[in-house]
Amino acid sequence: MKAIIEAKNLSRWYGNVLGISEVNLEIEPGITALLGPNGAGKSTFMKIITGQLKPNLGEARIFGQKVWNNRQIFRRLGFCPEVDAFYDELNGQEFLTGLLSLYGFGKAECRKLARQALELVELQDVSSRPIRSYSRGMRQRLKVAQALAHDPEVLILDEPLSGLDPLSKRKLIRLIKDFRAEGKTVVVSSHVLPEVEAMTSEIILIHHGKILARGDIHFIRELIDTHPHMIRIKSTQYRELARALAGEDYILEISFQPEDQSVIFETHHRDRFFDRLNELLLESGLILDEITSPDDNLQAIFDYLVGR
Amino acid sequence: MAEIREKGYHHWDGQLEEKRWNFWPITRTGIKLAFQRKYFKFVFSGAFLPAMVYAAGVYISERLEDFRFMAQGAERTFQVNPAFFKSYLSLDFLFFMIILLMALGGAGLIADDFRHKAVQLYFARPITKLDYLLGKAGVVVFFVGLLTLVPGLVLLILKLLFSGSFKFILDYPWIILSIIFYSLFLMTFFTAFVLLISSLSKNRRYVSVIIFAVYLLSDIVQGIFWVIFRSPYSALFSVKANLKQLASAIFLEKLPYTYPWYLSLLVLGSFCLVSFVVIKSKVRGVEVIR
Repeated sequence: MKAIIEAKNLSRWYGNVLGISEVNLEIEPGITALLGPNGAGKSTFMKIITGQLKPNLGEARIFGQKVWNNRQIFRRLGFCPEVDAFYDELNGQEFLTGLLSLYGFGKAECRKLARQALELVELQDVSSRPIRSYSRGMRQRLKVAQALAHDPEVLILDEPLSGLDPLSKRKLIRLIKDFRAEGKTVVVSSHVLPEVEAMTSEIILIHHGKILARGDIHFIRELIDTHPHMIRIKSTQYRELARALAGEDYILEISFQPEDQSVIFETHHRDRFFDRLNELLLESGLILDEITSPDDNLQAIFDYLVGR
Repeated sequence: MAEIREKGYHHWDGQLEEKRWNFWPITRTGIKLAFQRKYFKFVFSGAFLPAMVYAAGVYISERLEDFRFMAQGAERTFQVNPAFFKSYLSLDFLFFMIILLMALGGAGLIADDFRHKAVQLYFARPITKLDYLLGKAGVVVFFVGLLTLVPGLVLLILKLLFSGSFKFILDYPWIILSIIFYSLFLMTFFTAFVLLISSLSKNRRYVSVIIFAVYLLSDIVQGIFWVIFRSPYSALFSVKANLKQLASAIFLEKLPYTYPWYLSLLVLGSFCLVSFVVIKSKVRGVEVIR
């Protein structure tokens, strides 16, 4: 698939402080999540690809065109900043109409597109109320509305889910997924890892201004060989199961959780473990209630990679 | 009939216009927001008071016979000549009202964007920094133009209408240019003045106070220097004095201060230039924390 966003040797410093360093990336259509602790360089990257910050070194390109000083590229890009950026005196409709007019839409088009965007984020009922009267969630949804009102091909969302109630979060995640279904590109940053997991499995992990990992969450987990895989099995016969597997050379550690009748195995060879488990179940007739992988999720990968 | 609408993305298939005046939506929003400020409409209406008085003056000047009872001994006051136009465009009250209007409606032009971090919203759209600055400048130009250029030209048209001839224009063929040029200068100066101060703070109230303070303090500084040195050059420190000096030069009137007019032009021109450089460096899409 052709990359929509490209970063080549992107570096940016703030005086002596490093923003990002030698970032090389290609982002394809779909949802890509940008993850990293505070100060990792996520916002710097987003500001560079939205043309608001000039890299000290390297180049950012969208649709093959360089971003810096190329305002025309922003017709195809929607940006939702992390911080509130509103004129409180205006109402939602006026705010969106004003911003849409900067793209060169006619008056009637601006009104129509603003109305559609407000409907999309379910703010049509409060569109004539001043923004100052909006709740935090409403303001967040309005920010998203301004990013997608002009039907962009690329959406850059900086912490779009913060401040939203669970229902609104679900709706917004669905909206972002719909956007992806159109074949468009979404880059989203978030601190809340379960929310990112609900949106996509394609992640870019930034730490100290460098890309630590990128790709599918599970594929990345496979590559982390410094931390063995944890497999938790819940069964009333958990001790028998442990005894049967204890002799296998690829099992590194076994720990019991008697309070919920489960056992955790640690191994570097998940495939071999599961092959053996299947054989064992067929041979011995052991009954299992649940198999989970406690560290095959974003939080665990994140913790392993940033060294928490 | 009820309509069930599917919620989802609506694609826009139209053709985007390539606008040359990209700054206009910013100006339009700025003007709209100014009128939403408390007391702005009241002050804005009051700012036209001098124009109305001068319009009445034009009428009376052409009907001196009818108004002799009230204009006795004050005929010179009712003479419409270049000094009349200069007097209107360099009126203390007019300057004061412009400053008041800008303190109310112009102080937040850039300061509010800084406070709300809205600059990044502008710069994530197809507009340049110049478009942004022109858009903000447009707001000041609009209001200052409405109080200077428009009344200046209207007074001239009234003079021609009431006199029923073009003699005035024939006597002073340069008067239109003087009105336009001086009004444009006032627009440029006040734009630089307001945008500079607005770009120095995130707090609109501070900006309003500083707009007033700089304008008034410049007169006080002039007064202090005058008391100490007794030099006419002390007027170079005063915004008002420089504007008046320049007005006299442009309308070919006697200069109120004995120093050359081009020194005032130099002071105000340099101020505009420095302001532009400062504003350009202050306005950026992101806040860079060092």
